[in-house]
Amino acid sequence: MKFIAHKNNKRIWRIMMCVLIFNFQFSIFNLLTSCKTESRLGQYSSIYKECPSVIYVAPLNDLSMRRAVRTTEDSLYNASLNIAAKQLFLTASDPLVHNGYYLPGPLASAQLAATEQRTGKQLRNNDISDLKNDLGIDAVLFITLHSWKQTSNTWTVEVEYVLRSAVSGNELLHVSVNAMKMLSTDFKGNPLPLPEDKAFAERYGCDLETAQRCRLVETLNQYVLRDLPSGNRARQHTTERYIPSHPEFFNLRILNDGSVQMLKTELYE
Amino acid sequence: MKKNSLHKTKSLLSLCASIVFIFHFSFFIFSCSGEYIGVPRVEVLSYQTAPTYGGLHSLATAYGQALNDAVKADTLHPGMYAEYGVTLALMGHKGPACRMLNAEMKAFPESRGIVTRIKQRLMPDMVADTLAALRDTANLAQLAEWAYDSLTALKPFADVPPVIDSSDAEWIAQQTPVDSINYPVRLTATQKREILEQQQAQEALRQQAIADSIAAAKQAAIDAREQAKKDKEKAREEAKKEKERAREQAKKEQERQKKEQAAQREEARKQQAAQREEERKRREAEREAARQNKTKN
Repeated sequence: MKFIAHKNNKRIWRIMMCVLIFNFQFSIFNLLTSCKTESRLGQYSSIYKECPSVIYVAPLNDLSMRRAVRTTEDSLYNASLNIAAKQLFLTASDPLVHNGYYLPGPLASAQLAATEQRTGKQLRNNDISDLKNDLGIDAVLFITLHSWKQTSNTWTVEVEYVLRSAVSGNELLHVSVNAMKMLSTDFKGNPLPLPEDKAFAERYGCDLETAQRCRLVETLNQYVLRDLPSGNRARQHTTERYIPSHPEFFNLRILNDGSVQMLKTELYE
Repeated sequence: MKKNSLHKTKSLLSLCASIVFIFHFSFFIFSCSGEYIGVPRVEVLSYQTAPTYGGLHSLATAYGQALNDAVKADTLHPGMYAEYGVTLALMGHKGPACRMLNAEMKAFPESRGIVTRIKQRLMPDMVADTLAALRDTANLAQLAEWAYDSLTALKPFADVPPVIDSSDAEWIAQQTPVDSINYPVRLTATQKREILEQQQAQEALRQQAIADSIAAAKQAAIDAREQAKKDKEKAREEAKKEKERAREQAKKEQERQKKEQAAQREEARKQQAAQREEERKRREAEREAARQNKTKN
């Protein structure tokens, strides 16, 4: 009996030791993981370093091709692209404002652009420290709309975002995106418009095609710019949150529910 | 007993997980939809697409309402005062516009450079007011209190819709080349007439300049054509003369060569004659010598 008791004690003791060792290891692991800070990522580290607070969205550089106007369809198509380009410019400020940056509104930006003598290309390539000295602008966001592609049920837009510091002249963000949106089709293969697109078209008083384009660029702006580090108004840079930055070039597909699916280049092609 | 506790913990864990999932999912959906409440998007897009005076009016009203709502709900976004101020300034209400821009500068001190530039463009006579406002904001410790006071004080502004004369709107709709930047302010009848006359005079001058330039270009083209013709004729005559000169030269050369050949021939003939004479003399002398020998023998 004594022997059995001794044996049981030994077993319990062994189990206790195992539990203790496991707890110890787990606590050390927890301690290490909590102490470890994520390494600063390539693109956003310069934003953390410079802490810009005022961002000016430069007028959109629209390089997408327009059709030569021969029929009313061509003019409608061109008008649709124009409205989508304007929507791209207007909605670019939303995620940045939500993140706590100060951005002048669209009309104020238009007034500033009217006083600017330099072209967009010159602003992007030359020295812009005068914007900081005269206007207090810390960074300028350049958006280039490269192209629109369209098949029967797929919309693709190619956009380049460059955030350039007016203090140091460095590029704080440089992202090129191919965004694709696929619409579900009916049994004949015709694209079925989403109810959100219909609502957008009704609200803005435009056609469905324009609505689809506008919603695509709006979602794209949200996706690309919403994860920038927070500005001074939302959260201080001292309490940084380290978010994985976007790669320099990527492809994505916007699903019907508004979520985003990343694509490999091969899949995109 | 044990099973019950395990079941309880399992259910608790699943509940926590579901709460966390719903929270994250709702945040994701909210962040995707991302409507910026500070800007009346529909009005802005329609105004940017087709900038008209009516569009500007509806935009100003929408901005006023949005600003009023934001002040009430304490959700003021950066740039709202400035946007409303710019719309008011474009419509010609410079006083309220200046106050709105000052309010923007006080609520968001980092906007002072931008606001000053906008004032320099839209209301250059009110930039001094900006300097006064800047002097007010020098004491940053009082800024928060001041901003709160200004927000409460500025509430009535948003309630006042901009006054628009419909005849003005019609006239401007007829006249303006839908440019939001150079939008004319509210004008009196004489100013309108002056501007119209000025525009007509400018248009006439422009047309005259265009006509002059076209006539000058035509004249220049005609002159160039005539000059080219003259040059061509001159070149042709010169070529003809050159050809004649060359022909005469060749003729002279031929004659000279003929003369030379004749002289050479004459010389040769003289030499042959002299040789023949010498030969004859030699033969005669030989014959004489032979005759003398014969006579001797």
